[in-house]
Amino acid sequence: MTQKQRDVVQGTLEMLILKTLDLEPMHGYGLALRIEQVSQNVFRVNPGSLLPALRRMERAGRVKSEWRATENNRRAKYYMLTTRGRKALETETSAWNRQAAAIARILEA
Amino acid sequence: MHWLRSLVSGIRALFNNHETEREMDEELHTFLDASTASKLLIGATPEEAARAARIEMGSTNAVKHHIRSATWESRFEILWQDFRYSARVLMKSPGFTAIAVLSLALGIGANAAIFSLIHQLLQQNLPVRDPEQLVTFGKSENGGILGGVDLGFFDMFPWSFARQMQMNPGPFQGIASYGSFSEKVTVQPPVSAAAIGPSAPALLMPASLVSGNYFSVLAAQPSMGRAINPADDGAANTGAVVVLSHHFWQQSLSSDPGIVGKTITVNHTPFEVIGVMPESFHGLKLELEPTAMWVPISMQPVILQHGSFITPDGPYFLHLFGRMRAQDAAGKNALANSQGWFDQQLRAAIRAREGASISPARQLEINHATVTLMSAERGVSLMRSQYGDSLKILMGVVALVLLIACANLANFLLARAATRQREIATRLALGSSRARIIRQSLIETLVLSVTGGLLGLGIAFGATRVLIAFVSQGSSYVALSSRPDLTVLLFTLLVSLGTGLLFGLAPAIATARTAPSSTLNAGARTAQSGGGKSSRFWPKALVTAQVMLSLLLLFGSGLFLRTFRNLQNQDYGFERSNLLLAQFNPKLAGYKPSQAPALNQRLIERLSALPGVRSAALSLTPPIGMSNWTATILLSGYTPAPKENMVSVLNRVSGKYFETAGISVIAGRAITTDDSASGLKVAVINQTLAQHFFPKGDAIGRILTIEINSVKGPWQIVGIVRDTKSGNPRDVEPVRMAYISLSQIEPYQPEVGPSSGKSNTQASAVAPMREENEDRFARTILIRTTGDPAKTAASLTTAVAQIDPNLVLNNVITIHDQVSSLMTHDELIATLTSIFSMLALLLAAIGLYGVMSYNVVRRSNEIGIRIALGASSTGVQWMVLRESLILLAAGLILGIPAALSASRLVRAQLFQLSPFDPVLMVSAVLLIAVVTLLSAWLPAVRASRVDPLLALRCE
Repeated sequence: MTQKQRDVVQGTLEMLILKTLDLEPMHGYGLALRIEQVSQNVFRVNPGSLLPALRRMERAGRVKSEWRATENNRRAKYYMLTTRGRKALETETSAWNRQAAAIARILEA
Repeated sequence: MHWLRSLVSGIRALFNNHETEREMDEELHTFLDASTASKLLIGATPEEAARAARIEMGSTNAVKHHIRSATWESRFEILWQDFRYSARVLMKSPGFTAIAVLSLALGIGANAAIFSLIHQLLQQNLPVRDPEQLVTFGKSENGGILGGVDLGFFDMFPWSFARQMQMNPGPFQGIASYGSFSEKVTVQPPVSAAAIGPSAPALLMPASLVSGNYFSVLAAQPSMGRAINPADDGAANTGAVVVLSHHFWQQSLSSDPGIVGKTITVNHTPFEVIGVMPESFHGLKLELEPTAMWVPISMQPVILQHGSFITPDGPYFLHLFGRMRAQDAAGKNALANSQGWFDQQLRAAIRAREGASISPARQLEINHATVTLMSAERGVSLMRSQYGDSLKILMGVVALVLLIACANLANFLLARAATRQREIATRLALGSSRARIIRQSLIETLVLSVTGGLLGLGIAFGATRVLIAFVSQGSSYVALSSRPDLTVLLFTLLVSLGTGLLFGLAPAIATARTAPSSTLNAGARTAQSGGGKSSRFWPKALVTAQVMLSLLLLFGSGLFLRTFRNLQNQDYGFERSNLLLAQFNPKLAGYKPSQAPALNQRLIERLSALPGVRSAALSLTPPIGMSNWTATILLSGYTPAPKENMVSVLNRVSGKYFETAGISVIAGRAITTDDSASGLKVAVINQTLAQHFFPKGDAIGRILTIEINSVKGPWQIVGIVRDTKSGNPRDVEPVRMAYISLSQIEPYQPEVGPSSGKSNTQASAVAPMREENEDRFARTILIRTTGDPAKTAASLTTAVAQIDPNLVLNNVITIHDQVSSLMTHDELIATLTSIFSMLALLLAAIGLYGVMSYNVVRRSNEIGIRIALGASSTGVQWMVLRESLILLAAGLILGIPAALSASRLVRAQLFQLSPFDPVLMVSAVLLIAVVTLLSAWLPAVRASRVDPLLALRCE
């Protein structure tokens, strides 16, 4: 069974969520869809890992949530970044960039 | 602050569980909807879109589970789930659960009960400030009034020396003294205090004499009013004040809040109540029946109804104790220093008493006089020395019983773990972690053990009550409580948890070791019979351990039972059937010594005429009892060596005493009713006395003089009677005894000075400085009956009340019960160890039966094949029996040496019995063998009845 779509690289899900939420508040499915689209269908985020991650981040105070009406007028839980979340995004992004660059160097050597 | 917010929202989530759940559902629902909607957008049919969305999400329950486990509060939920699951599992097998909880409750309850007594009797400190600073001078356990002894050879002291120490406590913060025993006094409560009116009968209550600084040296504060102080304890017959015990104030004075300042009548003398002590305070010395009140020593003539002891050369009747300085109490040297100082005081006091000329030999003797200082932080308690060892042994016994119960449960759980392998394998395959399975399994055992523990607390409460009732021997009140205190509760909780871990850990680990794939693939039966050597080793090891421990307990209980029987069945020298005893005190009923002969005469006549009575007699002490009357004697024709021990036990008896008590006369004649006051004064001695002083057999006709002025004699020896046991049933050394004729005791005290002679009894023999001779009173009634003596008790009480309603009989008791009361701790330990060893044996039998039955079920497949291939039914039975015989043999091989070495530890408790008694060992082994075979026989029979067709088809 070949798998075109892959699960998100371990440990990066939170960073991707933070980055995606940095643009605008979003509900769960919106988040999943956006990540899928932006990654051009390379990554697939299923609710079994997305929602627990959101719950964890909410506990850690990186995101907060709010019930709002959706575009088709249904109630949905919208997640948005907190200041703490924004800071976390910065540190995680720079850490990731460092690591990715290092990996790239190793692979090209 | 992050963790704080997490904590707050976690707690909120826990309490708003319902709300959280609903939000989660809604969120998932919108997710699904949005997903479906976006799939519709890219052109799928509604069915396809909904299906695809649902496939993407997977099981909503799984998602919810993942979300929940992202937070810490989910652990509680998991624990709660496990707990509910365990409870359900346990409820599903009510038989197993009931047996498990019950055996645990019995085991834990027994432990808690014994611990509760040990804690109260052996571990609790006195409820006073800095109890570790307190020391007693000598053991201070026995009480009485002594005369004619030297200072420093007993732990009792005369008033003059005690006062001297009180005034000059040397290195101590203070030294105080108290009466060495609590005398029963009559008490009339103030009319207003109780609703019972002035004509109410007087109460008989123990009262304790204390020095003026007793409470201040103890540092005990009254809960109401004030304590006795040195100003109260002045000259003889002054200071008529009394401090009450909480119990007496509560029971007899209905907790009268205004009691302080009122007057109660003690021994017909008014006393002012000045204070009430707190509930936990019973004084420094805890007697079986704690004292009801404390009175200054200055009131001794009233309390003891005796001439004044508060004289420079009074008798020895006080115990001493002191409080060391704070800095001294810490170091060991200080105790030695204090000891040195005290011994010096003691020796100086002896020299001062002896006067100017002291021989060098006597000087040397005086230099050895010493009384050991002993730590008294827990006070002095007779019960402690009496029951301490028994309780420690019992603690060991109940711990063993609990171990056996644990082994049983571990075995049951192991067997169940095996039958649940498929369930566990399924759970593992579905993604449960091993940690969670172990946790769930442990929770199950903890639910069992804590339930058992709770039930055990109830059992402990009941058991402690029974034990206390037994220990108190009919006293209306003892200072022991069956109410479990915090320590006991904590102990029970710890024991319960420890028990749960002990019997739950092995099965839990065995459970988690299950390999999911192989178990699921294999057939049910073969799955259970698999599991390797270790799964078959543990049940057997546990059964072996049970056999071993049961042997230990059975042998031990056998030793104690035989000891008790030996004590009971030994020759006491008097007839132990059809004899009824009663105590009375004519002095407290207001009789004068001059009225004694007439009273004695009337009592004997009236009681002899009762139906069912063969004969009646009076004496000072019963043939056997706690206290006795002893003195130094002189015999004509025998010259004692210097310092020779001339002490003999004495009794004063009416005519027919020997006939009534059933003591046979060996030579000469007994004291009879014809030995009247005007006749020749006669005495009878026992064999030991006769043989010791007159080995040639010429004792009769000799003259006996007693070194107590009131009964000095001379008495002519007219007969020799058999030796009797008069005190501790364990004493094998025969005691010298002399009986004098009660009716021939002089009506008046001789006029000469102080007495010598000594006495261990409260009915003292020290010469009172009064005219009338109080030794004419009898204190014991003996009645020989034709039938059951207990049935005569009622008519005895009525008859005495008819003679004089004020003459109260206390302690009407058959001789059998009287003898038993002297060996209560032997009876206690024998009874309890046999009960516990039977319980242990029963548990072991259940365990063995369980293991064997389970084995047979497990192997029925194999057995079926064997039978199909032609094995005979006896062959199959033997196969099962052989296995249990091997376990039995292993248990015995380990148990016999263990039992023999353990019995050496209790050697001191045994009586006329070797700790290696072979008969007992053989009986214990046989009993265990029979029980083992019985419990293995049923499974063996069942094995031989296995139908091969059924067994094979079941697969």
